[in-house]
Amino acid sequence: MVGRRLGRAADIAALGAVLLVLVAPVAWVLLSAFKTRTEVAALPPRLFFTPTLENFAELFGRSDFLDYSWNSFVVAGGSTVLGLLLGVPAAFAMAWHRMTWPATATLFARMAPGTLFLLPWLVMFTAVGLTGTRTVLILTHAVITLPIAIWVLLPYLEAVPRELVESAQIDGARAHQVLLRVVLPVVVPGVVVAAILAFVFSWNYFLFALVLSGMESKTAIVASFNFVGEGVTNWGALMAAAVVIAAPPLILTLLIQRRLVGGLAAGAVKG
Amino acid sequence: MKSLRNSSRSGTSYRWMVAPALLFAGVMIVFPFGYAVWLSLCEVALGQPPRLNGGANYARLAADPDFWNGLRLTLWLYAISLVAQLVIGTWLGLLLARTRRARGLIRTILVSPFMLPPVVIGMMAIVILDPSFGIANWILAQLGLPPRLWLSDPDTVILTVAAIDTWQWTPFVALIVMGGYLSLPGEVFEAAEVDGARGWQRFRRLTLPLLGPTLVTAAVLRSVDLLRFFDVIYITTQGGPGTASTTLNILAYRRGFEFFDIGYASAIMVTLSALVFGSVLVFARLRRAVTW
Repeated sequence: MVGRRLGRAADIAALGAVLLVLVAPVAWVLLSAFKTRTEVAALPPRLFFTPTLENFAELFGRSDFLDYSWNSFVVAGGSTVLGLLLGVPAAFAMAWHRMTWPATATLFARMAPGTLFLLPWLVMFTAVGLTGTRTVLILTHAVITLPIAIWVLLPYLEAVPRELVESAQIDGARAHQVLLRVVLPVVVPGVVVAAILAFVFSWNYFLFALVLSGMESKTAIVASFNFVGEGVTNWGALMAAAVVIAAPPLILTLLIQRRLVGGLAAGAVKG
Repeated sequence: MKSLRNSSRSGTSYRWMVAPALLFAGVMIVFPFGYAVWLSLCEVALGQPPRLNGGANYARLAADPDFWNGLRLTLWLYAISLVAQLVIGTWLGLLLARTRRARGLIRTILVSPFMLPPVVIGMMAIVILDPSFGIANWILAQLGLPPRLWLSDPDTVILTVAAIDTWQWTPFVALIVMGGYLSLPGEVFEAAEVDGARGWQRFRRLTLPLLGPTLVTAAVLRSVDLLRFFDVIYITTQGGPGTASTTLNILAYRRGFEFFDIGYASAIMVTLSALVFGSVLVFARLRRAVTW
């Protein structure tokens, strides 16, 4: 008994230590974003200080960070929509006909190093005169969002009762009606999860925008990297940028945790 | 004929719905991949059409010390990160499975590192690990330890990068392990309890083999990311100091986009792709071996 209680105390201590290691760096970034220029590099570190918004004012006032954030939003949103538009019908057909090879084929995109595609893409987009536009980023980021959409949706679509689709067929529903009116409403939770994951991965993605974005289409991620490269000495502003670009994925991830549980309950086959 | 097929209950074909996705994949993935392979077999000079040069790029690869350095760094970074993440991840996953308190909060904290943009991870590392103003060295000083050049010591920079990736992705492995463990049949463990198997013995003989397929899944996912690891390295060190963290992917990127040595860069990328696909095939074999 004593041994077991000791074991439990050790578990809690170990878990606490792990959580501290995971939280501390993130908390440090968050605190630094609200410190003044002198406080931010002060050692010993100041844990108590009057929070200031001057770093955010500088970030948005002295650079086009708002534009870059908007670009990120358009690219992540656009590639998510494109990924779902292509992925939902494909995943439905794959689930219905139990086709496995297209799913395996999309894994290929998941495995190949992104650098491999960049040179051919540059040539292709130059040929059609699209270089430096947000369209290029939406198309290339859809290479990431499409496999996510397919893989997240497959289990949801495989769980759709076949009778549901077959009775709609008997009623004379055409293929697109079956998909939009019968299947889609049942798998909404899956679509939400797929959409959020696709958006987060597209928002976070660095490499494609690093090479393919122009002055007009630069994302907040690439702009933040440029701050680092330019040797920005104001760490406060740097950390403010980090907070701004980290917020959407973290907030969306929180949403998905609740929806995941609700989605699993809603996906249960009814009658 | 057509109506007959349509009237049979499940005869309607939805196969055509795969077509838009396949068309997209053809244009954006398959064609570029083939194009990259072709480029890797060509001499590419600006203003001239690429010309096949009979595998000269691959011959150059074999004689290039930067390539071998990159391969060594890639495999070294891969090995230490994968082992660290699987070992710590398994330990943490089992610890999580035993804990019933505050599961929601704990899960939120665990998910956060790998949902953060790699650029944020990089910025975080740069600020925390700065040799003079970073808090990491200040903490070392408080403990009476000498300061370290975390990201600028050529001997240890790979270890630092591995530590950063391990910080970010071990929680992911732990969550997979926790899920795998919680889905195991409880009776097996009750039976083991009756037989008096405890502690290390129970873990070694029972838990670990049962977790085999779960661990292989985690290993595959991490392998693919680790072998083509790019973003955090590029953001924190750009492959430096010197070439001390120039892994194959960084090398390929620099040759392609900084030196415009396009044929050669493509050869490096194709070789790296082969390495990634190869590792996935090995794990697919392994998964069959450990499935119970």
